[in-house]
Amino acid sequence: MITLENVSLRYAKGDPWALREVDLDVTRGEFCFVVGQSGSGKSSLLRLINLEQEPTGGRVLVAGHDLGELPHRRVHLLRRQIGVVFQDFRLLSGRTVAQNVAYVLQVLGAGRHEIRQRVPETLALVGLQDKGRRLPHELSGGEQQRVAIARAMVNKPPILLADEPTGNLDPDTSSEIVAILDRINRAGTTVVMATHDTTIVDQFRKRVVQLHQGRVVRDQAEGGYREVAL
Amino acid sequence: MRPGFLLGEIANGLRRNASMVVSVVLVTMVSLFFLGIGLLAQAQVSTAKGFWYDRVQVSIFLCTPDATEVASCSEGAVTPEQREQIAADLESLDPLVTEYFYESNEEAYERFREQFRNSPVLDSIPQEAIPESYRVNLSDPTRYEVIRAAFEQAPGVESVEDQREVVDKLFTFLGVLSVGALALAVAMVVCAVLLISTTIRLTAWSRRRETAIKRMVGASAFSIHLPFILETVIATVAGAGLAVALLWATVRYGITGFLSELLAGESGLISLVGPRDLWLITPFLVGGALLLAVVTAWLALHRHVRV
Repeated sequence: MITLENVSLRYAKGDPWALREVDLDVTRGEFCFVVGQSGSGKSSLLRLINLEQEPTGGRVLVAGHDLGELPHRRVHLLRRQIGVVFQDFRLLSGRTVAQNVAYVLQVLGAGRHEIRQRVPETLALVGLQDKGRRLPHELSGGEQQRVAIARAMVNKPPILLADEPTGNLDPDTSSEIVAILDRINRAGTTVVMATHDTTIVDQFRKRVVQLHQGRVVRDQAEGGYREVAL
Repeated sequence: MRPGFLLGEIANGLRRNASMVVSVVLVTMVSLFFLGIGLLAQAQVSTAKGFWYDRVQVSIFLCTPDATEVASCSEGAVTPEQREQIAADLESLDPLVTEYFYESNEEAYERFREQFRNSPVLDSIPQEAIPESYRVNLSDPTRYEVIRAAFEQAPGVESVEDQREVVDKLFTFLGVLSVGALALAVAMVVCAVLLISTTIRLTAWSRRRETAIKRMVGASAFSIHLPFILETVIATVAGAGLAVALLWATVRYGITGFLSELLAGESGLISLVGPRDLWLITPFLVGGALLLAVVTAWLALHRHVRV
């Protein structure tokens, strides 16, 4: 589903490498934690998958697209196959929870009937079926992140990227959020989550890809956060 | 993107940026108004030129009793024989002379009184001081010199005037007006372009979160840009509409109404631009404004909105 072959990235000539000779293969339906310290290249890796950033070298393949060969006018078709969740939620403050989720479908040209059906369905998936009329500021951080997950999933993308989704949340809420991601993954969606939340990684025991100074230093199935001392 | 959602986005955008939208409307209106005035002034020059050049081209003024200082008038006022001789000479100049009219002293005085009805000099000018004349049309107005050479020293002729020299001063004035208005229009169009560009930048900034979400979920570049472009088009069309309304009011009440009434005594002397001339330039004004708005918006979007 996601393949990186010998991928390197640096943002400007003379800068240190953000990613260096990364090889990674995430298969369909897999759940993968990408861990590492701040600046280790976790977010850069996700940006490459979403084609927010082009690699300096190497090849990236996502959902059947070779991103190096993908013409600019077709990039949006790739992005329709990828849901993204961020640490800071990025909700539209003037719109209700349901409107935030519906916005994606409206942007993509879905009909009224489809929106009426899919929005409550997706809110139920994240446990917010009763909060559709609330505004984001009336919700807790955990609830706002659930809205962000609903928004990322309402278009049913086969891939979900989560960049530090628990970074602003307390441990219990973080656990609830990752449980939702886990549920989504079990339904068939490939999930790649960048995190430095030790407890979460240790609790869920998924595949762990560890980055250090832009290089993959560990790729372990059902791993914990600190299997290898650095 | 569905039309209903698109309209909602546009309405939202216009409401949130009301002050910037109003400034785009006003700057577009002022720039197109000046452009319209410049074009109408040019239309006036060409209309009036055609009108004048088709009519009176050369005037042959005949001797008045007081014009004895002119050699050809040394015998006093023109005699009927001299007048007939001049008419015969004009006939012989066919085909250069296509038409000529005789204006008697009474007719000339009547026209003079009408022309200067509000002037205090009117009473101090006796009727005899106003010369009778022949008004001559030429098949080729540039060959005025032929007429001048033939009649300037002829007995009974006080002077020969090329009327185009007189009206050309008016045309020069209109030309300057037209160039001035067009120069102002160019400056205002530059303002409009810069303002549209700045408005897009500010709008893009205020809507950066929506735009980021659209990008993230896979909206095409076209559907991200479309609301911005349509908002600019709406503001420009509103500005163009107001400019055309203002030009219409200027033509209707300023020219067709006021100016033609003012010149009523000169009826037949000048043809003024009217609403029809405005309707002829309107498609160019509106079309040009739209084209400029779309191109400016498109360039600004490529610079300020990442897709």
